[in-house]
Amino acid sequence: MHPATGNSRRRLLRGIAAVAVALPLTFGAAACGGDDNEGSGSTDANKPVELSVFYWGSEKRAELTQKALDAYKAKNPNVSFKITWQANQGYADKLATLAASGDVPDLFATDDNMLADFATRNVTADLNEYKGNKLDLSKFPPSLVEYGTVDGKLVGIAAGENTQGLVYNKTLLTSNGLPEPTTGMTWEAFIDWAAQVTAKTKVPGTMDPSADYKAFWVWLRQQGKDLYNGKQLGFTADDVAKWFTLWKGARDKKATPTADIIHEGNVTDISKQLVVTGKAATSFVWANQMPELKKSTKDELGVVAYPGDPSAQWARAAMYWNVANNSDNKDVAVDVINFLVNDEAAVTALGTDRGLPSNMDLRTKFAETVTDPAMKLSIQVENDLATKFGKAPQVPPKGHSTFRSELVKAAENVQFGRATPEKAAADLIAVVQPKLG
Amino acid sequence: MALTTANTPSVHASQATGASAKRRRPRRGQQREGLAGYIFLSPWLIGLMGITAIPMLLSLYLSFTNYDVLSPLGEAEWVGLANYKRMFTSDPSYWRSVTVTVSFALIAVPLKLAAALGVALLLNKAWRGVGLFRGLFYLPSLIGGSVALAIVWVNMFNREGAFNGFLAIFGIEGKPWVNDPSWALETLMVLAIWQFGAPMVIFLAGLKQVPTELYEAASVDGAGRFRQFLSVTLPMLSPVIFFNLVLETINGFQGFTAAFVLSDGTGGPVDSTLMYTLNLYLKGWREYEMGYASAMAWVFLLAIGIITAVFFSTGRFWVHYSDGDDR
Repeated sequence: MHPATGNSRRRLLRGIAAVAVALPLTFGAAACGGDDNEGSGSTDANKPVELSVFYWGSEKRAELTQKALDAYKAKNPNVSFKITWQANQGYADKLATLAASGDVPDLFATDDNMLADFATRNVTADLNEYKGNKLDLSKFPPSLVEYGTVDGKLVGIAAGENTQGLVYNKTLLTSNGLPEPTTGMTWEAFIDWAAQVTAKTKVPGTMDPSADYKAFWVWLRQQGKDLYNGKQLGFTADDVAKWFTLWKGARDKKATPTADIIHEGNVTDISKQLVVTGKAATSFVWANQMPELKKSTKDELGVVAYPGDPSAQWARAAMYWNVANNSDNKDVAVDVINFLVNDEAAVTALGTDRGLPSNMDLRTKFAETVTDPAMKLSIQVENDLATKFGKAPQVPPKGHSTFRSELVKAAENVQFGRATPEKAAADLIAVVQPKLG
Repeated sequence: MALTTANTPSVHASQATGASAKRRRPRRGQQREGLAGYIFLSPWLIGLMGITAIPMLLSLYLSFTNYDVLSPLGEAEWVGLANYKRMFTSDPSYWRSVTVTVSFALIAVPLKLAAALGVALLLNKAWRGVGLFRGLFYLPSLIGGSVALAIVWVNMFNREGAFNGFLAIFGIEGKPWVNDPSWALETLMVLAIWQFGAPMVIFLAGLKQVPTELYEAASVDGAGRFRQFLSVTLPMLSPVIFFNLVLETINGFQGFTAAFVLSDGTGGPVDSTLMYTLNLYLKGWREYEMGYASAMAWVFLLAIGIITAVFFSTGRFWVHYSDGDDR
């Protein structure tokens, strides 16, 4: 080896080190999607149109949706679909990415957690002008139409209706000779019942829903308040502290699992709900999720309303169909939505996967034909509750997603014993308040 | 420490001859060669400009606006330094993520390098089957940043995981590692350390370069194994250590995938795994504050730049760019 080799080695090492410095420079958010949205803006019925469709869900939902869209295609051979779907986890992120690159699919799905975020930024089209002509909402319960309206604009069409459902492991309870929970039992009675389940079965009686915005929401409405009042919070730090304290009491009574198990259940993933993973006897979910939950457990499940007065619950749009504001195919997209919610073949194909059919006539018809026992239960509990439902609240405003994630954080802080209910509640309000509006 | 920068003059010499050779006017053939060079370079150059440079400049601009991802770029309002001010004065989650990231890097990086060097020393011997072991130890870093691995990790380190099963053999009651805010970050550190294969391979290459004469000379002088390690191996390996240190520090600061998967994209439990990059992601894509997220990215870039600059400036005191025969 002669001297020059030493130099080149030295230079090489320095060079590599310099490259290493340059590496972090590559973390620019490269979010450029590549679909071209070159559809024809047509009212010409026979012009070929390709409609992009995007939604979240399971394999099963993809199958059902495909079936329904195929039925549309059979009647409208000029329309073809470019369907993309993915899991719930990351769906909103993906949709935001598409919005940023101006590539929002013609037809896409949202739920009330993201609707206002997208609607107030005009990602979604206002469909008021189609109402009554291309879009028939006359068979919808009025509250369901209202629950798709943000700032006076009709931005989301309910793909189905659901409501909060307390799902319990029926097999576990009956084999231990324990009573099943009932609609209308008070929160205190429910917690005592859950403590009893824990003592008898060694399986914690209930998931601790401190971090669950929908349970908190129902509880608030039972206190005569609401989650939001216009673009403000409809509750105070005191209310949150009371809610957290209620569940602190439940944990002390061993009615719930330990904080780390609760953390496992604090996800939206249906297959990880504690009632189906066997880590709790009850979980706080949406009533239409029964068939999906049933897939993850061999045990028989039952469903009732959340504890407390059931009139705090309401007919919620489980999911919405939305049309992109910058779509060239708005007419066709609206026509497809109209088909999905009002055509018997489509409604039968979709079942209760996105909630009970929004069209009341078809809902009744469909309910008579259902054979799947889990689906039957979903329908039954929602029909039972329908007579007791209270007035639907407003669609959560922009910033609701922040509230949800901050509620989880605050609740877990209390559950892990890192903050008092009062401190966590005050912090929560301080972070969320400025994000709303 | 006689091995210090003895070869500095020769560098200047070689650069000087290179420069004088190039001072002649380029002939046409050479020009054409230059053009060909750029053409061959163009895929990379276009990529650099399109995918890195332009978005970066754009993000610098965005960092002074309230861009929210969902509204058109044209509607973003100029807010001056408000994003930067908010970061340093009124965002507790920001400092939380800085703390998480710094403690992650401070603990995981040195331990990872120590593990890499230690195993490299063991595998530098010529015993039978050493190649197999090198491969096995390298394996984890091949699958390193993968989502699948992070999922495996979550399942290994939760309450019913394999790790607690292993502890139970010794009658130790484990913890719900990944679901406990006191341990979740530590679990991520172990994951990072376990992937020491890449620096290990580089260390191995470095060890092979150390001339055996030096060890012979050292042992003739009566130096024991440990002394040889301190006085021969470490100094001769210092450029490689430096390289690995810079690279791994930057990697450590940028840890995202594992934290994202382990916490289901939340940084939880209770912000315990809220790495800086994850926080940035959440701000940009979950709370639609891309302007603020861009500002975070730029502060991050500056911070890493400063840390690296510090490494480089201290490097002259402990890094020896020298082969044995340079003197």
